[in-house]
Amino acid sequence: MKLRFLASAFGLMMPAIVFAGEYNLTVDRIQIDTGDFVKEGIGYNGASPGPVLRFKEGEEVSINVTNNLDEMTSIHWHGLILPFKQDGVPGISFTGIKPGETFTYNFPIIQSGTYWFHSHSGFQEPDGAFGAIVIEPEGREPYRYDRDYVVQLTDKHPHSGDRIMRNLKMMADYYNRQQLTVGDFAEDASEKGFLATLKDRMMWGDMRMMKVDVEDVQGFTGMINGKGPDQNWTGLFEPGERIRLRFINSSAMTYFDVRIPGLEMTVVQADGNNVQPVTVDEFRIGVAETYDVLVRPKTAEAYTIFAESMGRSGFARATLATKEGLEAPVPSLREPPLLTMADMGEMEGMAGMDHGSMAGMDQPDMEGMDHSKMAGMNQSDMEGMDHSKMAGMSQSGMEGMDHSKMAGMKQSGMEGMDHSKMAGMNQSGMEGMDHSKMAGMKQSGMEGMDHSKMAMDDGSVSDPFYAKGSGLLPVAANGGKFLSYADLKAQKPLFEEREATREIELRLTGNMERYIWSINGVKYEDADPIRLQYGERVRFKFVNETMMTHPMHLHGMWSILDVGAGQLNPVKHTVSVQPGTTVYMETEVDAPGQWAFHCHLSYHAATGMFRKIIVEGGPETPAAAVSEQSVKVGGGA
Amino acid sequence: MKLIKPLIAALAMFVSVTALGAGAHGDGHASKSGEAGKPSEASRTITVAMYDNYYEPESIAVKSGETVRFVVENKGNLVHEFNIGTPAMHEGHQKEMVKMVEHGVIQGGKLNRGMMSMDMGDGQSMKHDDPNSILLEPGESKELVWKFSDKADIEFACNVPGHYQSGMYGNVNFN
Repeated sequence: MKLRFLASAFGLMMPAIVFAGEYNLTVDRIQIDTGDFVKEGIGYNGASPGPVLRFKEGEEVSINVTNNLDEMTSIHWHGLILPFKQDGVPGISFTGIKPGETFTYNFPIIQSGTYWFHSHSGFQEPDGAFGAIVIEPEGREPYRYDRDYVVQLTDKHPHSGDRIMRNLKMMADYYNRQQLTVGDFAEDASEKGFLATLKDRMMWGDMRMMKVDVEDVQGFTGMINGKGPDQNWTGLFEPGERIRLRFINSSAMTYFDVRIPGLEMTVVQADGNNVQPVTVDEFRIGVAETYDVLVRPKTAEAYTIFAESMGRSGFARATLATKEGLEAPVPSLREPPLLTMADMGEMEGMAGMDHGSMAGMDQPDMEGMDHSKMAGMNQSDMEGMDHSKMAGMSQSGMEGMDHSKMAGMKQSGMEGMDHSKMAGMNQSGMEGMDHSKMAGMKQSGMEGMDHSKMAMDDGSVSDPFYAKGSGLLPVAANGGKFLSYADLKAQKPLFEEREATREIELRLTGNMERYIWSINGVKYEDADPIRLQYGERVRFKFVNETMMTHPMHLHGMWSILDVGAGQLNPVKHTVSVQPGTTVYMETEVDAPGQWAFHCHLSYHAATGMFRKIIVEGGPETPAAAVSEQSVKVGGGA
Repeated sequence: MKLIKPLIAALAMFVSVTALGAGAHGDGHASKSGEAGKPSEASRTITVAMYDNYYEPESIAVKSGETVRFVVENKGNLVHEFNIGTPAMHEGHQKEMVKMVEHGVIQGGKLNRGMMSMDMGDGQSMKHDDPNSILLEPGESKELVWKFSDKADIEFACNVPGHYQSGMYGNVNFN
């Protein structure tokens, strides 16, 4: 499959040796055996996952893709920076690959790291059409390891993607097996009281959501490198070796919480880009994300790689061992999380509130502040207001609030506030707030503060990328360190830091009951493309107004996730936005052409949480050359 | 490496390394990895460059009892350490370095030396002044003279959180 040769065999005069690699992929109907069931699916070169494509930075690749299906197909090179016509999205990059046709992709490899590829047609990707990409850097890696394994996760379902989509449209909770029953109602009522329980249920009903909507497609078998839990994919090692594990989440719908009991994992790369190493006990991998970790088993025992789905409805399992056939204990699934009112934070009155620029504010004053009654307040009313009456107020309204609009608020108004009566209030009200705009805050309070681990009064731990009180807040199984986005800092900045030239707000929206997902309330087929200008730096503001986590994936250009680290903000291709939160990312608009931008949950993308981006201008592709086609893209996140 | 240190050691970084000797630790590490050496006895100089996050070179060869002068340069953008010790010593030191990051003593490329000598309220400080180790900001360069003892399992390592784990260490091979 890999026919690599020296293109410059005769080019010894050239200053740099350019490699050109030719690769062949066939798209085939295959059988997928999970150990629980055997299912017809789609694979590459006869298998799912397909082969690991190993490229070298600086190489010119030529990839021949032969479609052996009786339907159209495509391959998208997820996370690769390339000319838009090579990006593989039917209706945006090209028309697709017809049955029987061989299409040749040609592009230069200008990056390194762990990525993946998958079909962008229909539901071929959930049906198995994906594989891994490993790109060796030109120079040395900024870390060392003795072995290197791809660990590619998926959520293989006994139903085909088409059938799942039909069932979800017919009944959105078709695959939700953890639904609350009348019995649960009776139990809650006896604990919380009948009226409180009824009110709680009515609120959830208003949102067309349920507390258990963490995973809308359950009933899958988690797989690693094409093996179900009982088939136990095994990676070999010698004691004392450092092993690089390249985790890729190729699931259609499932987030996984990954741990290796007995081993610490040092995260060195996220979405293909090196990050400053951070050692954790567990991490959550969103759909389409990749994390590279280093582990070092010192003894000859076996270790279980355990990937529990976020909603605890399934798991994938593999083993690290000194020889095949060894096993370590497989943990049991933890209790499924229940969504809380915090996870609908953005949907309450708080979403519109505006606290103005917090620059100059003193951190100590912030802690313990309760803004719960400020919902819908007008900025101007803030000035000189007296907070002293706020004692004892409920904190719940604060959860998930977004402070980002605070820029421009009159500082003087804030200074005049009376915080004196606020002592002793519940700190937890602050959680879930967006810290990204707080750069100007008094440094003394901030310095050295670790936002990823804000210890609360009650000793619990919080994560700024989850709404406070969120039922989804991850906790390490061993009580240790759980990776947060706030821990991710670029090893080396990829771009010069500069102010964004403008902000684009994207509300992530949906109607769960009708199973329609959308952006700003408009689904893809009814939406105008988002037009960006070549050379600008756009700040995207994601406001998640749904109760589900959405992994937002921008094609063709990097997503610089704002974790408050300035120039060291990590560079990603997929950014998870948790319910009830607002997340910012910035993009240097440096790739002309048109690109896809969507939620990577297959059935969310297919039902409308999807946009076309048109980059106008640029050196190679004048805006006029970009066709205005609006072919329906269908699914295949 | 202990967090509890007599204040006087703060000033002792290099000048009085010889006088202090490794015995000042009283923790037995010295016998495993060697001790602070006298510059006049150094048989040669080895230059070690620290990058983000690896050393060049990644292994050195020494003789038992040899005294070596190390010139250590931080050519990266992050704070790095050059620490001579056994893997167990490094592991112990890593816990202390985690505290230094948590308390803001080490912030990416900045080393808050002022905070290092600050009393943390319990008589402890985060001074980083053992003779077997130097901690450098980007662009800084310092010398360390070390007398190796008998053949032992010794590495030079950076114990800034995550750095050792991701492979920022080098082997000391005994000829």
